[in-house]
Amino acid sequence: MCPTPRDSVGCASVGDRAIVPGSEIRADDALVPSILHVDMDAFFAAVEVLDQPELSGKPVIVGGTGNRGVVASCTYEARAFGVRSAMPTLQARQLCPHAVFVDGHFSRYSEMSRRLHAVLRDVTPLVEPIGLDEAFLDVTGARRLLGGPEQIGHEIRGRVRDELSLGCSVGVGRSKMVAKLASRAAKPVADRAGTRPGVGVYVVGPSEELGFLHPMAVQALWGVGPATTRRLNDLGIRTIGELADVGEDTVIRHFGRSQGRHLAALARGHDPDPVVPDRAAKSIGHEETFRSDIAQMAPLQRHVIRMAESVATTLRENQLAGRTVTVKVKFADFSMVTRSHTVSFALDTAAAMVAVSGALLDAIDVSEGVRLLGVSISGLQANGQAEQLAFSLHRDGQASGDRSGQEGGTENAPEDREVRAACLQTSWQEVSAAVDGIRSRFGRSSVGMAAMVGDQGIEVPGRREAPWGPSADQPED
Amino acid sequence: MKFRSERDSLVEALATAGRAVGGRGSSSAVLSGLLLVCEGNRLVATGTDLDLTIRVEQEVIGIDDGSCVVPARLSADIVRSLEPGAVTVEGAEEKIEISAARSHFGLRAFSVVEFPTMTEPEGTTVDLPGPGLAEGLRQVVRAASNDDARPLLTGVLMTNEKGAIRLVATDSYRLALRDLEGTGGLPEGEEILVPARALAELQRLSSSAGSGEGEGPPTVAMVTGPHEVTFTHGAVRISTRLLDGSYPDYRQLIPDHYPNRLHLGKESLLGALRRVRLLVRDNTTPVRLSMRAGGVDLTVVSQEVGDASETVDGDFTGDELVIAFNPTYLIDGVEAVLGDEVIVETADAGKPATVHGAENDNFRYLLMPVRVS
Repeated sequence: MCPTPRDSVGCASVGDRAIVPGSEIRADDALVPSILHVDMDAFFAAVEVLDQPELSGKPVIVGGTGNRGVVASCTYEARAFGVRSAMPTLQARQLCPHAVFVDGHFSRYSEMSRRLHAVLRDVTPLVEPIGLDEAFLDVTGARRLLGGPEQIGHEIRGRVRDELSLGCSVGVGRSKMVAKLASRAAKPVADRAGTRPGVGVYVVGPSEELGFLHPMAVQALWGVGPATTRRLNDLGIRTIGELADVGEDTVIRHFGRSQGRHLAALARGHDPDPVVPDRAAKSIGHEETFRSDIAQMAPLQRHVIRMAESVATTLRENQLAGRTVTVKVKFADFSMVTRSHTVSFALDTAAAMVAVSGALLDAIDVSEGVRLLGVSISGLQANGQAEQLAFSLHRDGQASGDRSGQEGGTENAPEDREVRAACLQTSWQEVSAAVDGIRSRFGRSSVGMAAMVGDQGIEVPGRREAPWGPSADQPED
Repeated sequence: MKFRSERDSLVEALATAGRAVGGRGSSSAVLSGLLLVCEGNRLVATGTDLDLTIRVEQEVIGIDDGSCVVPARLSADIVRSLEPGAVTVEGAEEKIEISAARSHFGLRAFSVVEFPTMTEPEGTTVDLPGPGLAEGLRQVVRAASNDDARPLLTGVLMTNEKGAIRLVATDSYRLALRDLEGTGGLPEGEEILVPARALAELQRLSSSAGSGEGEGPPTVAMVTGPHEVTFTHGAVRISTRLLDGSYPDYRQLIPDHYPNRLHLGKESLLGALRRVRLLVRDNTTPVRLSMRAGGVDLTVVSQEVGDASETVDGDFTGDELVIAFNPTYLIDGVEAVLGDEVIVETADAGKPATVHGAENDNFRYLLMPVRVS
């Protein structure tokens, strides 16, 4: 690569790539970062249309087609009727009854996603994938080689169209946040009048940044969720421009030093978050929408065991261990609670994971009916690192070898839970290794915990269930 | 209420009582205040977070009897910043005036009736030797956990062992144990679990008093009630709620025999550990101890930083072994040993080691190793 602009004549070509004429940049220009956000247009739905050309031009909705599913993706023709991702399928059916509803083909999306990311990594190694269908690229250093960011954006769109036969939109900005908002502005537009292509590549230059951001609603900012939006609105702040106008001191007074500073910086277009290739996973989790609401603790506890076991298996497959276990429950009315507990040691066994997540679920009132249940673990660290060993602190009178079969009995104090999980983590290490060994030879559903046994043998999460809900043609149980 | 006091002694009273205030986001505003009660020539300042209460008595020149609640931190900061000399404090229900020389402050007061009512300690009383208690607390409190998720381990167990009081604390990675010989033990074999935070305050108090002009009384009176324990040390009274629950059975952790024994000079081991620890950048990097006849080699290998090693001469008996520890935990243990020599006993690289002094047996520090692959 060319280390300095001075060399620009000397390295007119690198490999088989030519310097694009007219793309020379001034030295001061080179200091301004160029971040691209590449986002596939209606990814899952577009893949379905690609595989079933007869769907072309029709409203297509991918997701849980059963009555309890949610929309995972939909074509712009469906969006014209107000259908959106994450909307319950029932509502989507009401809005757009003539739409074609398709169960997802997750492995197909993964395959297309791999091809997308291969294209992106061909442009620059500085690619930070966000999910299957979007990514950030830092092309600051690649501009001299490939042309300006806008040109790179058009090239990416061309290659994705040629190689994947799919559409994508590209946003360009100085920061990840601005790039992401810009890609949204580049998207196709759908309304009752029809679907119109977007600009494809939308560039927000440093001098246009404030003019671009300030008319937008505050919830467009990163990390501004419903709660923060409500608090900002209560202060009479609705747009990013209004937030920028009130000044950092005022924001800090209402939101505290750390969040206040962050918000004020974002409103000025400053987002220091860099593009990080191969960002390590922050959490591993599994969640499922049930076919019908479950209001009894016992079956929910069985589901928790199954999911916790699956998460623990994924942890070990990736040689990871984690410290913070989170249980998420969405109720029939779509309200949601999450409960977490951080243990003082890293865990990766099913039994320890079940002990912590089961106790978390136990403390949640499920009587109004649970629609979705999720178990996840964060605070991940590589397994096999130096590990501080701990005493096994049993209660008086508890013999050290005899820990199994002590369900109930003792009160469910956090202390007991922690100690139990620590004991289980230690005592299940060899069991887990044996289970992993059996599964590597005979498959994942060859062995499992008793609670995982269902009508069709050992049920492994992820095989039958999709996160967006069960399909319509599965039997109701 | 109105009194006059010398600046330095008033600062001392306000700051000491203020140490109980606002440990956590306090539930009510009045808890960020100190209750001042003036009666004759006696001022009593009390701060509390409902778990821990610190009460300080102070001789003042009383002018009017009465009471008020002042903002704890602000009033201590104000009095501390005043010119040396006499300070006058006058408090009413709404407002407190603090004046000295040409400075004058008027502060909004908290409501006295909202301040929690303090009861006199009730229960059995034991007198403990002040210096011995301070020394024992210094050795043991450091091993208690500060993880609120494990409430029992944030306490120090006070129990009886062979007619003396024994202090025990563990955060599950290390365990410190000290027998306070010469104490009569707790009455009727009672065991109590005292929050380490309260004992850290007691230690601070008794060690600073001990180093003074010898005015600090040599004993600490301990009054144990069913839910509360109160330590009175001179003019200061520390009360704390007891932790509820049965402490883990620590006795089963203590091995009765160790095959390997390393005998070293305390200061040379501490110096070497502190030097090699300089390379530790996160709390997962251990120090490796290679024990062999003639001493021990200490090694720290820190990814992306570099490595450090040092040899400490000493006597070793047993089988050669390599064992790794969290260097800070090991330093904590070695520092707590009394005397010039320290003995590190080990079984193998996965079992707890014990650090203790060479001369007597009243202190032991058990430490779990770090497993390195």
